[in-house]
Amino acid sequence: MEEAQVVGLLVRRCVGGDAAAWEEIVQRYHRRIYNVCYRFAGDSDNAQDLTQEVFIKMYRTLSTYDAGKGAFMTWVTTITRNLLVDHFRKSKGDRITDSLDSAPSEREDAQPLSEQIADRALPPDAAVQSRETGEMVHLALQKLSPELREAVILRDLQDMDYREIATALRVPEGTVKSRINRGRAELARLLQRTYRQVM
Amino acid sequence: MPDEIKHGVECTEFEALVSDALEGRLSPARKESFEAHRRVCGVCGPLFADVQAGQQWLRALEQVEPPAHLVHNILAATSGVVSTRPQVARDGRTTPFGERLRERWDSFSASFFRPVAAFVRQPRFVMSFGMIFFSFSLALSAAGVKPKDLAKVDLRPSALRHAYNDTQIRIVKYYDNIRFVYEIESKVRELKRANTPAEPGPQEQKENRKNNTSGQPDQRQDRNYSQEYNQPVLAALRAGAPITPVLHNGVVDASPAAVTTNRRFV
Ligand SMILES: [Zn+2]
Repeated sequence: MEEAQVVGLLVRRCVGGDAAAWEEIVQRYHRRIYNVCYRFAGDSDNAQDLTQEVFIKMYRTLSTYDAGKGAFMTWVTTITRNLLVDHFRKSKGDRITDSLDSAPSEREDAQPLSEQIADRALPPDAAVQSRETGEMVHLALQKLSPELREAVILRDLQDMDYREIATALRVPEGTVKSRINRGRAELARLLQRTYRQVM
Repeated sequence: MPDEIKHGVECTEFEALVSDALEGRLSPARKESFEAHRRVCGVCGPLFADVQAGQQWLRALEQVEPPAHLVHNILAATSGVVSTRPQVARDGRTTPFGERLRERWDSFSASFFRPVAAFVRQPRFVMSFGMIFFSFSLALSAAGVKPKDLAKVDLRPSALRHAYNDTQIRIVKYYDNIRFVYEIESKVRELKRANTPAEPGPQEQKENRKNNTSGQPDQRQDRNYSQEYNQPVLAALRAGAPITPVLHNGVVDASPAAVTTNRRFV
């Protein structure tokens, strides 16, 4: 049986009141949702709370899921994303204006080209082996704006395709691609700057 | 960005092709002009390199393992049916406190024993070892054995037998007491559950949603992080604020969401 069929069946059983089916859904998706929340919110406590909220919301709205209108994972991602938006607004809505005012990317572009090229001598894949580097990438991710952060998380960490991401975020595919590229580039610049300070 | 045409590709067009290029989805002809533009353009070349480096950093990030009690908490907060499948680790005697303790220990041991051989570093191994040691010392101290007593232990067989019987009686008493505490605890939990009904099942909610045929989760349309989303939001890094490789300094101090989650569910 295909994944979509299995999930469709689980959802039907669950709507019919089958607790085991619901547990199966939780077992299947909690790791993925937790990871999205962890990479987005930055810490385990918030990620746990958010993951739990996602499942509470899922449980309440499971009967509205229509398999004919898209993959279950896209539906789940939409719920997750909406809760992340709420979480972001609640926790640091006031910082949005700060980030807009400082317009950091203009300064990034003002960096001399020679410097930018020198930065790129860094070997990312070799360094990423270490746990410390993983933590640094995780921290750099937290510095991205939420729009760029969610886009790269869904694409590069969750491996969703552009169309699915566009559906979940309710923006055109072109916007998704642009955000992903800006997010990746911004992250690389942040990490290069960090490495320059550390070394 | 100057909109120059180099090798038949404009800079704006180049940007739009970056994703496809990274995933090797450009036609040979398109790829050739894309590569040519990348080599000569002082803006697009570095941009491409940044995007590529960022992608590599991100893809190298490993998945994190959620805490062991997360599924338990989710089920408790939704269906109320905590588990329908047999679980080795959670056999009814493990309290949420025990689980939290276990996680703390897991993360501590994972970082402390990092240079040791891989199998020893396994949190499960360290945990089991730790628990054996813990239970052993607990049993000993419950039985009234103190470390200084070991110095004057009488090793004659008859004395040993006597000490063994004496200790066994005390341990049995101790575990009887413990069992009594657990029984009380589970009764309290049952009472609690009886008084606070779990989330109504999905089918009960269905009635309220007859008009919702969208197949999408109940939500406000087009949610964005910013209330005024007309302005482009770029990365939010304040001037001269580098990321330090120290976790607690860099982590965004998001206040915990005020919702009805029960991370500390009993
Ligand atoms: Zn160009």
